[in-house]
Amino acid sequence: MVKPIIIKRLIFFFLLGFVLAPFISSAQQVDVKAQADTDRIRLGEQVRLRLSASMPPQGMNVIFPQIPDSFGHFEVVRRSPLDTTAEGNIKLLGQTIVLTSFDSGRWDIPALRFDLVSAGNITDSAFTGPLSIDVNTVDVDTTKAFKPIKAVRTVGWSFWDYWLYFAIGITVLLVAIGLIVYFHSRPKKAVPVPVVAVVPPYEIALQQLQRLKSEKVWQQGDIKQYYTRLTDILRNYFEQQFNIPALEQTSEELLQHIKPVTILNQQRDKLRGLLSLADLAKFAKMTPSPEEHEGAMQHAQEIVEWTKPAVEKAAAAEAGKEEIKQPVK
Amino acid sequence: MENTSDIRQLNEKIHQASAFVDLLNLELSKVIVGQRYMVERLLIGLLAGGHVLLEGVPGLAKTLSIKSLSSAINAKFSRIQFTPDLLPADVVGTMIYNQQKNEFVVRRGPIFANFILADEINRAPAKVQSALLEAMQERQITIGDTTFKLDDPFLVLATQNPIEQEGTYMLPEAQVDRFMLKVTIGYPTKEEELHIIRQNLNPQATATINPVVEPSDIITARKLVREVYMDEKIERYILDIVFATRNPEDYKLQKLKPLISYGGSPRASISLALAAKAYAFTKRRGYVIPEDVRSICFDVMRHRVGLTYEAEAENVTSENILSEILNAVEVP
Repeated sequence: MVKPIIIKRLIFFFLLGFVLAPFISSAQQVDVKAQADTDRIRLGEQVRLRLSASMPPQGMNVIFPQIPDSFGHFEVVRRSPLDTTAEGNIKLLGQTIVLTSFDSGRWDIPALRFDLVSAGNITDSAFTGPLSIDVNTVDVDTTKAFKPIKAVRTVGWSFWDYWLYFAIGITVLLVAIGLIVYFHSRPKKAVPVPVVAVVPPYEIALQQLQRLKSEKVWQQGDIKQYYTRLTDILRNYFEQQFNIPALEQTSEELLQHIKPVTILNQQRDKLRGLLSLADLAKFAKMTPSPEEHEGAMQHAQEIVEWTKPAVEKAAAAEAGKEEIKQPVK
Repeated sequence: MENTSDIRQLNEKIHQASAFVDLLNLELSKVIVGQRYMVERLLIGLLAGGHVLLEGVPGLAKTLSIKSLSSAINAKFSRIQFTPDLLPADVVGTMIYNQQKNEFVVRRGPIFANFILADEINRAPAKVQSALLEAMQERQITIGDTTFKLDDPFLVLATQNPIEQEGTYMLPEAQVDRFMLKVTIGYPTKEEELHIIRQNLNPQATATINPVVEPSDIITARKLVREVYMDEKIERYILDIVFATRNPEDYKLQKLKPLISYGGSPRASISLALAAKAYAFTKRRGYVIPEDVRSICFDVMRHRVGLTYEAEAENVTSENILSEILNAVEVP
């Protein structure tokens, strides 16, 4: 015969099991894990802690544990976002947390609590198993002497570090070469050369002397101007015709420098008289007589006329040389 | 040929007054062989009232020339040998205590003469040079509380040795500028030197300089020199030369720009004009022509054109620069 007390107890446990059944079943449906990729690191090395939870796809959710930036002897380096995947009728949630430690020893990652949420309320919790990580120091051979700090290592040159600059430089160079080639090779416009009639210096001198005469400068009382222009015409003529720097020479120097020019030296006395007279008129406020004015003009014209045949002869000789140089057709 | 009466009279006057120049040259040629260039420049300095700096190696008759010139002019000559231990009082004079009179009396220095030869002026320290150059400028000396006017004519001839620069005190530019002329003296020709040897070794040769000119004639001539006519064209020519030393690029002489550190001062223009007039006077002319300016230009300008380091490195001298300028500036 079964005792009544036993029957009462059986009924109590039956009813208790009936009430708690939904909760027990939900807890059993969620599986949480914490896995480290290694259980042994050296100081400062990193360990990847993978937190994962698997559950039915509907009606159930999980709140992952809130891990602070540092806990125990560990520091959190970074956290990955929560990722969700599905495998058949199972929903998988996962997060990777990278940890490191700078304290040597054997340290525990405590059991982490996942809160289970059903119909908007936390209905239960699930815990991961604790983990232990060995954090080791670097082996130091104390028998050896200290070594100096290593020098800074230079990073090797790589083309790919600078390829953009190379590309820009080469492009600019190619564009520049292209422009140069374009501007050099394009047909140039023919510049019209103005045809200037070459007037021999003696003709210019004679024309200028004639103009001075016709302007009647001394007759108007401007004696200094008359002699200044007269000598300037001659000096310019000597400079252009005989390459004597006559404009920068005094009268005496000019007479010295005409010596090598035989044709001009033959008119030396005439030129000396003219220059002396001009110097007196220009620098000594002296007024030569009208005959002297006329005489000075006549002397100037005679000097130019005297040297004219020699100049023409020289020009003809030069032209003859040019003709000889031409090939006979 | 007609002539304005003023210029004709002036020309006549100068022709007569300058007659002593030939006499002087003749007298000096009795003892000085060659060196006509130096004698001519001394005379220009004397007539223009400007002092002369002579540069030449020893033994070129510098002392003899000035001594002879002073004898020919019947003037008082004094020579000061500049040494490193010379004091300003040795040049200008000092106050000496007279025990009998129980007072300080002035003892005049050698500078109280008509012609001073400051031999090797660059051997004395700056304060002595300065004392002399101040006297040259002011033409008066102050000893104690008394100011003494220097004799007239007063001409200082300073000499410098160009080859021996060790232990010398170079004259500063500002002081060199006070010399109207800087004359560089060269060696005599072979013929001249032969004549010098014969003249010096001949026991019968007793040539002495007789006074042919009085100091008063020089003073009169100086006044006349200032009256020599200078046309505006010549004045502008002088300005062109001086300005070309300052701004050579304005005269198509860009290549000279890096060679010149400083050009001629307005004092250079004044000196060039005055020296050209004196030169015209020695040629017995009453007017200046471009030849006069060109003849005297080197002596007036060579110490007034400063050279840069670049010029010195390339062995360019102030004479080279002046030649370039004279060949570029148009003659009126």
